[in-house]
This record gives sequence, structure tokens and C-alpha cells, in this order.
Amino acid sequence: MTSSTNFLNKAAVILIVGLLCLSGCAYPKGAVRGDAQAGAKKFQIAVFPVENLSGTLSPLKEIRQSAIDRLRAEGFPILEEGILEKFMARHRVRYTGGIDQGTAKAFKEETGAGAVLITSLELYSDKIPPKISLMARLVSTGEKPVILWMDGVGLAGDQSPGLLGLGLIEDPRELRKKAMSSLWDSLTGYLSGEKGEMGIQRVKRKFSPKIVYRSFEIDPGRKYTVAVVPFFNSSDRKNAEEIMALHFVKELTRIEAFDVVEPGVVRQGLLNLRVIMEEGVSLANADIIFGVLNVDLILSGEVLDYQDYQGTLGAPKVNFSVLLIDRKSRRMVWSSDSYNQGDDGVFFFDCGKVNTAYTMTSQMAQAIGRSMVK
Amino acid sequence: MVKFWTILFCSILAVLAGLAGCATKGNFYRDPNMDFGAIQSIAVLPFSNLTRDNLAAERVRDVFINKLLSTGAVYVLPAGEVARGIATVDIQNPSSPSPGEIVKLGPIIKCQAVITGVVKEYGEVRSGTTSANLISVSLQMIEAQTGKIVWTASTTKGGITIWDRLFGGGGQAMNDVTDNAVNDLINKLFK
Repeated sequence: MTSSTNFLNKAAVILIVGLLCLSGCAYPKGAVRGDAQAGAKKFQIAVFPVENLSGTLSPLKEIRQSAIDRLRAEGFPILEEGILEKFMARHRVRYTGGIDQGTAKAFKEETGAGAVLITSLELYSDKIPPKISLMARLVSTGEKPVILWMDGVGLAGDQSPGLLGLGLIEDPRELRKKAMSSLWDSLTGYLSGEKGEMGIQRVKRKFSPKIVYRSFEIDPGRKYTVAVVPFFNSSDRKNAEEIMALHFVKELTRIEAFDVVEPGVVRQGLLNLRVIMEEGVSLANADIIFGVLNVDLILSGEVLDYQDYQGTLGAPKVNFSVLLIDRKSRRMVWSSDSYNQGDDGVFFFDCGKVNTAYTMTSQMAQAIGRSMVK
Repeated sequence: MVKFWTILFCSILAVLAGLAGCATKGNFYRDPNMDFGAIQSIAVLPFSNLTRDNLAAERVRDVFINKLLSTGAVYVLPAGEVARGIATVDIQNPSSPSPGEIVKLGPIIKCQAVITGVVKEYGEVRSGTTSANLISVSLQMIEAQTGKIVWTASTTKGGITIWDRLFGGGGQAMNDVTDNAVNDLINKLFK
């Protein structure tokens, strides 16, 4: 009896010491932020109106306002609304899904803004359970627009139902708030000098491309400049070609080996030269793009399925192919085919189910990006 | 009694011999005079779609292009480059071009052979209460220099099996059935 009491006492002491040590490892958010303030970026940010790729009526103004409010609250300078409106009217800026070289230069010279925040709404559904997916990026102004930060979020009200469904979110505003909070946390983290969410995350094996061709001409040790051209859309989903391109821009930006050209610059290049792509990029188109954008690689492809589901039953479905054309050899150096459903590998109680096409595509695109330079 | 068994044995042998006579080399053709090793780049034209799924031909073509490329044996031209060639030559029906059109297309997109195809079945088939996915595709390779057919093959994969009838389950996923069919076609190409 005595020996068992001693044992229990020892165990309790070890447990308490262990807990104390663990509490020492706890993440003191304020302190880290304070330290990180040394590397904080203090340039003025112009917040562009949100680009709507969802094809539905969505609270775009509220999303934009949440970004402004959050950045102001954190003490980052925001370009005044009146100045932004006047600039956009003067330069006839209608496209808010990107920024071209001319506009970026004018922005810097005329408004003094150091960066532009571009937000693209991919999905918004207020039917129960609500769903929201969006991507945002911070692009520098001046001579050469560069993507400084890019991240996104995809949430569904039923993705973490928890015990007895207590974790279900049925109010679309609550879900939107949660999504916005997560996205702007990442942005303010970057602006404060923290790494943010830009680092590579772990990708599940099931999201790897199913068929792959990789040429030996890709040098894993080299840094490549890549232009992501809108995909050819064969799916039923409106704007799937742009959504897919944005996913690749986001995921390739996270990989050190790639220097991704701002999509607004690519778009302007294609418009200026009146490049019309029938069923994808031809070599003639590729030559023009290589010349104008001065890139090493062009990434494009075809979207066959990009489906989110409404309501509680179903699973998102994504099917696409990707190709990479090399400037030097004028040949395809990568080609792959990827397809997944949200319930792939799910057998018990929806455990491991992916609820939005956004989340699935992000992982699929990241798996491709990593395989390209492996 | 012995006579009965002898007659039965002889009958079975005769039936088996008859069946063996019906056997073919497989449902594909290869031109024996064609040097397939000389083909370095191939253009895969859009497939003809005889199914109810509007995207079936596009899906199968996409998988076929990637599988063929992944073998590393030949280079397959990007779909955009093939589309440019089709537009330049002004091929009226890209899924079944004439030999003359192919002879014109070859030098424009710089390929030694062109592959055309037909997707005959794609999707779910039903029999009573059982259902399963099925695909049926046939392809042909045409030499770009002469416009001559040098290889043809067809395959059918999936469908309702005895297992499906007994235990249900709906058969294999459509993507897996397509993969099997394309693998079979590629095996027939490199045989």
C-alpha cells in the first residue's frame, strides 16, 4: 500500500513538472508579435474591391470592409477611399482581380501606396450549411509588381461538427467572420514580420497527381520564373479557369524554386497582344508570352470538373490537367492529371472528408508544385 | 460405359479445338511494315463522342495524352498546339480527318503521327438492380507523312461482373475504369 502511494506521489510530481514545462513552451502571441514588429512592413496599402468569381450574389463590400477594419485596427496605413476611387476612375481600372505593370507604377507615383490587396471570392453559399472560399494577395506597386504575400481560406459550416453537432455553424455571417479572421491573421502576420501562412504545409498522399510526366530538363536546383496562364475551362463551373490559375499562383508562390508573375501582368500581356487561346496554349502563343513576360516557364491546363456541393449531402469533385512549357526547349516539361473527390479514402463517419473544392484543390496544386521541383 | 466416356471426351476436345480456332491475336492491328521506333512526336486529335456525357471524349483524351507522355517513349504535342494546327489546316471534322488533311497537318505542328479516336461508351450501365461503370474506346494511329492507318485498337473495360451482381457495390470508379482502358490501349500500342 505504502509503495503504491509513493508511486502515485511520484507520478503526480512528474505530471505537475511536465505541465509546468509545457506551459513554458506556450506561444505568447503578443510577445512574438512585439519582437516581430522589428521587421514590420509599414507601407500604405490600397484595398481593391473584391473580385467575385463565385458567380453568385455575395457580400463583397462586407469582405472588403473587414480587411480594411482589421488592417486599421492593427495600425497599418490604408489608402483613403476617395484617393483610391479617383485613381481608379482616372486610370479606368475596372479589373480588380490583378494589377498590371502600368497601373502598379502609376499607383506608386500618384498615390504613394506601397502595395495593393487583391481579394478574389471563389465560393459563397448561405444555404445551410454555409460555405465560403476566398483567396487574397498583396502585390507591391512600382516598376515591377511582385506578389509579397498570398493565402486563402475555404470553410464549410459542417466541416467540424464535433460531438452532438455542437460545432456546426449555420449562420453564414459567423462562418464569414471566422474565414476573414483566419485570412487577415495570416496577412497581418506577414505585415508584422512573421512568416504568416506562406510556408509549405503537409500534403496528403491521396491528393498527388494520378498520372505524371516529368521531363529531365527540369532542374530542381534552379529558380524558375513562371507565368500562370488561365486554364481551359471544360467544366460547368463559371470562372473555374481563373480559380484554378489562382490556386497555382498561390501554391507556387510558397515554393522557393518558383518566382511567380503577378496574374494581372500576365492578363495585360495577353490582352495587349490579343492572344486568343483555343483549347490551351499553343507554341506560337507560348513564344509570344515568353517574349513579353520574360519568363522561363508557362503553366496552363484544363479544368474538367470543379464542383462544390450544396446542402449536407455530397462531396466536392475536382478534375484537371496541368502542363508546363519550357522556354529553352519549346516543349512540355511537365504534364499531369489530377482528380479527387472530397470523400476519397473516407470510410467512417465522414472522418477526413474535405468539404470545399478550395481545400482539395489547394492540396492538389501544392502536391503538383512540389513534385515539379523534387 | 467406357464408350460413353470416350465419346464425351472426344466431344469436349472437338468443342475446345473449335473455340481455339475462333481465337484472334487481340482486337488491334499493327502495320508490319511501319517502323514505330521512328515516331518521336504524336498529335492526339479530339476524340469523337458517341456517349451521352458531353465531356467523355475530352476526359478520355486527357488521360490518354498524359499516360502516353508518362511512358517516356514518345512526345505528345500540347492540346493547344494541336488546336492551332487544326485551325490552320481548317480541318472540318477534327475527330475523323481525311488522309489529305493529316498530310497537311503533320508538317505544320511537326509530328510524325496522328491519333484519332472514338469513345463509344462512358458511364454507368444498369442490369436489373445492379449498376457499374463501363468504358469502350477505339483508337487509330495515322502516319502523318502518308495519311495511312498504321495501328488501330479498341478496348472495353468495366461493366457488371458476377461479383457486382452477387454483392452490389457499383463496380469501379469511372476514373479507374478509364485508367484501365487507356493502359490496355497503350499496351497494345507498344506490343
